[in-house]
Amino acid sequence: MTKQPIIRFDGVSKRYGDDATILDDISFEMERGKFYTLLGPSGCGKTTILRLIAGFIEPTAGQILFDGKNINDVPPNERQVNTVFQDYALFPHLNVFENVAFGLRIKKVKGPEVKRRVEEALRFVNLEGYGGREISEMSGGQRQRVAIARAIVNDPEVILLDEPLSALDLKLRTEMQYELRELQQRLGKTFIFVTHDQEEALAMSDEIFVMNAGQIIQSGTPIDIYDEPISRFVADFIGESNIVDGVMIRDQLVLFAGKEFECVDAGLDPNEKIEVVIRPEDLEITSPEKGKLVVTVDTQLFRGVHYELSTYDKDGNEWLVHSTKKAQVGDEIGLDFDPEAIHVMRLNESEEDFDRRLESYEVTGHAE
Amino acid sequence: MAGTGKGQKLFLGLVFLILYAPIFFLIFYSFNSGGTMTSFESFTWEHYAAVFEDTRLIMIVFNTVIVALLSSLLATTIGVLGALAIVYMKNRKLRSTLLSLNNVLIVSPDVIIGASFLILFTALGVKLGFTSVLVSHVAFSVPIVVLMVLPKLLEMSNSLIDAARDLGASGKDVLTRVIIPYIKPGIFAGFFLALTYSLDDFAVTFFVTGNGFSTLSVEIYSMARAGITLTINALSGLLFIVTVGLVLGYYALNRRSKTLFTGVKR
Repeated sequence: MTKQPIIRFDGVSKRYGDDATILDDISFEMERGKFYTLLGPSGCGKTTILRLIAGFIEPTAGQILFDGKNINDVPPNERQVNTVFQDYALFPHLNVFENVAFGLRIKKVKGPEVKRRVEEALRFVNLEGYGGREISEMSGGQRQRVAIARAIVNDPEVILLDEPLSALDLKLRTEMQYELRELQQRLGKTFIFVTHDQEEALAMSDEIFVMNAGQIIQSGTPIDIYDEPISRFVADFIGESNIVDGVMIRDQLVLFAGKEFECVDAGLDPNEKIEVVIRPEDLEITSPEKGKLVVTVDTQLFRGVHYELSTYDKDGNEWLVHSTKKAQVGDEIGLDFDPEAIHVMRLNESEEDFDRRLESYEVTGHAE
Repeated sequence: MAGTGKGQKLFLGLVFLILYAPIFFLIFYSFNSGGTMTSFESFTWEHYAAVFEDTRLIMIVFNTVIVALLSSLLATTIGVLGALAIVYMKNRKLRSTLLSLNNVLIVSPDVIIGASFLILFTALGVKLGFTSVLVSHVAFSVPIVVLMVLPKLLEMSNSLIDAARDLGASGKDVLTRVIIPYIKPGIFAGFFLALTYSLDDFAVTFFVTGNGFSTLSVEIYSMARAGITLTINALSGLLFIVTVGLVLGYYALNRRSKTLFTGVKR
């Protein structure tokens, strides 16, 4: 395995006409054998990145490098990349076996070899013995697997997955998340997965690229992104969060909701205006006397695993609480949290500055 | 048809009776030994025998079939390519213009098509006969084929083409391994329709034929003008049966392709 990134985007932009900018000067690298997720709301440009890698569209500006070589002008049929499409795009006139064999037949692979490889691919996706079936006889989940088998049978370096789970029901979707992750680890190939579902992204990825409006807002491991969102957008998009305005008094001391709190963030200007994120599951219900915050319970929903409480402090800030403990609507309760639970976000901080600042104080004892 | 009441059924039956009565009347008298269409004397096959004894008539049947097969084959090829060109055309304005021009040809009267072809052939100095009939049959069949193939092409998801390209298919592979197989039902439907149109065309052929070349419809017309013989009835009966056979074949193909494709829903 080489250190060379398998895919590199170098200042890539995609525009249609003069006005519609889909991707705006994007640069990133992807390593071999990892599971990447492009996560963002619809229209953020994530599918465009996938189509650029597959070669269905060409960048307006910038370079796309595959294994160190510029592939801007390489047509899709000559790229070592295979795609699993959102609508699966299985050929209705071919049966399961021939669908999977399509790429091999094009490459004029010999009959016995085709048979061996197709059967192996079908075994990989747990569809052994389904080769003779027509596509119309397969269920949604099975079609999904056929589409995956059709991609992996060609032994590509990179497999692109364009929201492949969005058409499945919840139970099947969760099941497929496990299977996809396992499949990627068994194959050791680079997977690039596009989704707007943050749960999918968190569950499967080695690395997530959070996108919005044609730009990558933040990239990192699921834990990094969940625990240290760079901006309000990321915090809001990944999981549920309480976001309030505050002021950074000095290092490790932050003011919000009318009180000063000890925290672990540092490297900001004194008295800088900031935003504070606290995840609902980091808030613990306690008595009003013991609580760092005192709030009134507005509503309470039973979510199965936990209760979801919507509460308000006296300044009118809403605090969402996930707790296994029950509370009474209308009651005053206290909320307790650790200094580590407070995450401070600078306004309009770039990803490089954010990473640099994080590194500067993480050495001095931030619990990882 | 579950919702139709008795009255509606009766009305429909009556309409079809009136529509088909003349044809059945004609076929009925083709078995009359009397030689006229006024009184039925006794059953006979002699008019049918007369059809098959007439070598000139057999030759004309042969001509008709050759023209129909050749013209529909050519029209199918041209029509499929045309439909592909229309669907994958980038220029939207040109695309809709071509589509409208195609549809105009379908609704414009045969007489006008025939007359204009006659003028064209005369101006070009083309001798009227087999070639002129073939060319004009191809011409009026192409729009039909385009119309039958287009919906299939439009229904086909673009991601199928992307998928084929992604799996290594060249432009030619995409056409022969994905697009053509997908639109095959449309191609067959277009071919059959073109075949029936060509077989029973009278108006266009009447204008552009000449030099001793004739097709069945034109021949029946001239026979009828020369005077009624029941050979015409027998011939028309045969033609009717062949046409019905073709239509049934078309529906059978259509139904088969439908059951093949309805499962593919997302």
